[in-house]
Amino acid sequence: MEQVSDDELDHGAEEDSDKEDQDLDKMFGAWLGELDKLTQSLDDGRPQKALQKPPLRQETNMANFSYRFSMYNINEALNQGDTVDLDALMADLCSIEQELNTISKPNSTSRSQNKGQQRAPGGRSASTKHTGTSGSVSARPAASNISLDDITSQLEKASLSMDEAARQHRRTGSVGAVSEQDAPSQRSSVNSACASASSMDSLDTDKVTGGEAEGQSSPEEQAAKLKAEKIRVALEKIKEAQVKKLVIRVHMSDESSKTMMVDERQTVRQVLDSLLDKSHCGYSPDWSLVETITELQMERIFEDHENLVENLLNWTRDSHNKLMFIERIEKYALFKNPQNYLLGRKETSEMADRNKEALLEECFCGGSVSVPEIEGVLWLKEDGKKSWKKRYFLLRASGIYYVPKGKAKASRDLVCFLQLDHVNVYYGQDYRSKYKAPTDYCLALKHPQIQKKSQYIKYLCCDDVRTLHQWVNGIRIAKYGKQLYLNYQEAMKRTEAAYDWSSLSTSSIRSGSSSASIPESQSNHSGHSDSGVDTGSSHGRSQSVVSSIFSEAWKRGTQIEESSKV
Amino acid sequence: MAAWDLSVIVEDLGPDAPPVTISVASDLHVGGVILKLVEKTQIKQDWSDHALWWEQKQRWLLRTAWTLEKYGIHADARLVFMHQHKPLKLGLPNGITLRLRACFSNPVFQTVMGICRMLNIRHPEELSLLRPVEEKKKKKDKDLAAEIYDLTEVPLSSVSRPCLYNGMPAHFADSPQMEAIYKMLSVTQPPPTPEVIAKQYRPASVVDKAHINGRWLDSSRCLLQQGIQENDKLWLRFKYYAFYDIDPKYDVVRLTQVYEQARWAILLEDIDCTEEEMMLFGALQYHISKVAQSEPQILSNNAAMDDLDSALQSLEVKMEGEGSSASDLLVRHNKCFGETDQMWLIVYFRPKRLTLKGYKQYWFKFQDTSISYFKSKEESIGEPIQQINLKGCEVAPDVNVAAQKFLIRLLIPAPEGMNEVYLRCENEQQYAQWMAGCRLASKGKTLADSSFQSEIQSIRSFLAMQKTNSSSSNTNASEESINPHSLVSPRYHKKYKPKQLTPRILDAYQNVAQLSLTDALMRFLQIWQALPDFGLSYVVVRFKGSRKDEVLGIAPNRLIRIDLGVGDVVKTWRYNNMKQWNVNWDIRQVAIEFEGNVNIAFSCVTADCKIVHEFIGGYIFMSTRSREKSDTLNEELFHKLTGGHEAL
Repeated sequence: MEQVSDDELDHGAEEDSDKEDQDLDKMFGAWLGELDKLTQSLDDGRPQKALQKPPLRQETNMANFSYRFSMYNINEALNQGDTVDLDALMADLCSIEQELNTISKPNSTSRSQNKGQQRAPGGRSASTKHTGTSGSVSARPAASNISLDDITSQLEKASLSMDEAARQHRRTGSVGAVSEQDAPSQRSSVNSACASASSMDSLDTDKVTGGEAEGQSSPEEQAAKLKAEKIRVALEKIKEAQVKKLVIRVHMSDESSKTMMVDERQTVRQVLDSLLDKSHCGYSPDWSLVETITELQMERIFEDHENLVENLLNWTRDSHNKLMFIERIEKYALFKNPQNYLLGRKETSEMADRNKEALLEECFCGGSVSVPEIEGVLWLKEDGKKSWKKRYFLLRASGIYYVPKGKAKASRDLVCFLQLDHVNVYYGQDYRSKYKAPTDYCLALKHPQIQKKSQYIKYLCCDDVRTLHQWVNGIRIAKYGKQLYLNYQEAMKRTEAAYDWSSLSTSSIRSGSSSASIPESQSNHSGHSDSGVDTGSSHGRSQSVVSSIFSEAWKRGTQIEESSKV
Repeated sequence: MAAWDLSVIVEDLGPDAPPVTISVASDLHVGGVILKLVEKTQIKQDWSDHALWWEQKQRWLLRTAWTLEKYGIHADARLVFMHQHKPLKLGLPNGITLRLRACFSNPVFQTVMGICRMLNIRHPEELSLLRPVEEKKKKKDKDLAAEIYDLTEVPLSSVSRPCLYNGMPAHFADSPQMEAIYKMLSVTQPPPTPEVIAKQYRPASVVDKAHINGRWLDSSRCLLQQGIQENDKLWLRFKYYAFYDIDPKYDVVRLTQVYEQARWAILLEDIDCTEEEMMLFGALQYHISKVAQSEPQILSNNAAMDDLDSALQSLEVKMEGEGSSASDLLVRHNKCFGETDQMWLIVYFRPKRLTLKGYKQYWFKFQDTSISYFKSKEESIGEPIQQINLKGCEVAPDVNVAAQKFLIRLLIPAPEGMNEVYLRCENEQQYAQWMAGCRLASKGKTLADSSFQSEIQSIRSFLAMQKTNSSSSNTNASEESINPHSLVSPRYHKKYKPKQLTPRILDAYQNVAQLSLTDALMRFLQIWQALPDFGLSYVVVRFKGSRKDEVLGIAPNRLIRIDLGVGDVVKTWRYNNMKQWNVNWDIRQVAIEFEGNVNIAFSCVTADCKIVHEFIGGYIFMSTRSREKSDTLNEELFHKLTGGHEAL
């Protein structure tokens, strides 16, 4: 124990006590310990690892996807590693830590006497790597002379271990509940990961029995209490553990990017909010998360109510898709000038605000949403062919139809082109050169899971940009209905609130870390995280040290970011 | 003042009785006349509903304090002393005829309010009365066969204060007959036979549809003034397609009748829809009739309570579905399939790879939302050849019972596109279970979901429909077998045979099979309301300065102008932009001014301009409702908006 702390002190820029070290140990040792497991069982690029086993053939298994996905992003992050990412990750890391600690806080005092014994094996098993990271983190305030290589390698370690922490976090529950899907190798790796992470209060079956064993050495009552408490915590953890977390990379308009952590429950709106909190770009409802599918040259603005993770899991492992964080006026243009979208008129026009509101109310707040009457000639790319043919299309609530040749456009004669339940609408990019489209105003409709060229993707081409936007927005209305309007109202509410709180939010960000992964703890985050780390050791000074490390790191990150922006 | 003789026909004395003559003076008020009349007849009965009707002037003398002089009545006036409430035959939206006492003396608006109060329909302002389309009387016995429900015995006083008893108004709880009537009102009718649909009048063009709107009664005048006699037949219909605040808890009858009106509008092609939409409507009708038959108690007994119950139940089910742990899931999984046949032998086909007869047998296993397959049963302990997660996939049936073809077509999304996979089942039982499993899995639910069994059940019942149709000819639509032709408009009777129609309706049915009765009704209305032509009432008009007839479509939010030659909408005006409208009653022309100096004027060809005026004013009245939350109906405002100078 002491040796570990000494190591720590060598690298640490600040004066430390045992307890502080233990806290740092606790955090980074655990994560880093898992780095081993990660490289052993997860890295496909290293076949020499004995533990690796060919994964089950589960082509569409979600778990595997998520896992691959985050790996990909990490790799990408490494290639371009910069300090901003590390800071952002640190913030998220911190939030996880806090999450873990708050859950176990109630019982931590009663257990504190056991902490020492418990922590020791974990610390030792991870000690080699351990020193590396903790050192790098504590050295951060004086990091100006650290070489880029250093930073990259530290980032690698930190982010990988964080990913592992997230993965393990998600898996703990399945370990307890014995899921058939987990390959034995994976299970064992998670078990050992948990063992090494025990100081982090992470929970699994081993841990529970371990707790019982400790209980025997202490008074019986306490043991019983401890046990009950652990069961309670275990239940909570199992619940928590089913939540997937994903490290994502978000590209900004200025070519820079941010790495952040999202959990599977988060909606696009929530992710946008936390991105807006982190980046000081001013609040506007037009900020969007845009999915760009490079291979297909198409993009889509995610709707605010959509689940982000669910959408990202559709990406393949080797995909070059991008997630952009960018202001897009198209997102809510429909609600700013509804007269141009809802009335089926050919020309743009002005309308009094009062009438706009009435029009929106009428369209979205009735018994059923009235889909705008959009119809006209569009170009359709024929299946498997290069040619584009003109057809007269109509939009209805039940889908997109076209008028067959030689018929009038009576409803009963319409041919259904597509129903909208299973497809999303995308803007096509530069189809003129890619597919020889007649114009550049193209839209595509496809199932979100399709990522490669396929006959199941439908391409339409409009004569002008106005028609394109009318169709895309009409399809959005037909597909999402009132939800779209609710999204807009919510976004507007945020905008208004942002003006009131703008000063406050900046200060809270500066004071500590910001959380993306836990929606319910976005405010006074730093306070929580401090006390969470602190209660185990009940030491006054460690608090300041830990928080100062993080806040320093964060400040530097934001400074760099700001300067790079200007 | 000099006394003179006034002769009054008293209806209660019989049609042939001579008029009663009483001696009156011009300063005698109407109340005094009535008093004298009653004394003279010497009949002891409740005369409170009686009033005097002035035949020549076509008006009621309802102000009893007014003197004869004030009314301008002289000795030559022909007065009739009679009931204000008289029996009326009322055709309901569901096609059933009801006999009830309606008020003949108040404006139709109030008459409708009274009728709706009796029938327990909220928001009577949305309904009105119209003269029925004459039925082609080919066979006399048809009229006799039609059952008429009689509500004339309901005491009028009891209707005034609706109190609920067992979920229905107290006056329906008196006798089993009355309860049967309430059931008729509140439960959807079984699908009509194809013959009945074919026999009904169907408007063939927009002009035909326009003619129907000429039949609406004037809301500002009373029935008698509009020539309606005792025992005449009228239709009660929803006139304004702005259904405010439908609450299934309180609107059992209203919801049912709106649905019935919508259903008939679809079946008779009163409103146009696409083939896909027609199939979905058909599927919903099928589902609604099934569910309505299986749970009639819910509606007749205690609708409100049962709704709550079912809401709680469904909540429970939801939580169960989401919260079931792994072990629980396994147990229930086994329960569903029986311990041993958790896996089945099934035939598998992949059309893309094997273009020839590509069916190959594999051993299949269904677990959670995935299916896995193995070479044989023996190898099923090991790793599957492939595991396919069905979440988010499209499931479509390809079934022909007669040919014993039970195919499940799966479109499974993958990054490269959709994988098309066919599962061929050996028999109906197996098909129903696997189909149900696939349906649930595509929605992300497992076999442990509580809806699994009911899903199986509904698939099987649908297969039964196909069976009866393919084996026997069109039998009457009994409870068990529904002819698919009963669910679609006659156009599709010609286009498809019943057995061709069944799979198409079945396809659409998959998406609605799990809806509760109320949800299914609401869904039906939603899809109906989302049709482009929804809510349009047509009138043939002649625009000022135009030489040809055109059609004006009146919708809840706009007016449209349709060119009869092209059949296309040429112009749309929205009420939001309307500044004012007025009617020149002398030349019977409606003039409307919109913002931006847009003025239109037209005369009406197929309907009185009062009807058009009332439609526009009525819709504007409907749109004011959302602002004031109070339940009381602002009758004065309605008349102000719809009445016009003539009536006042």
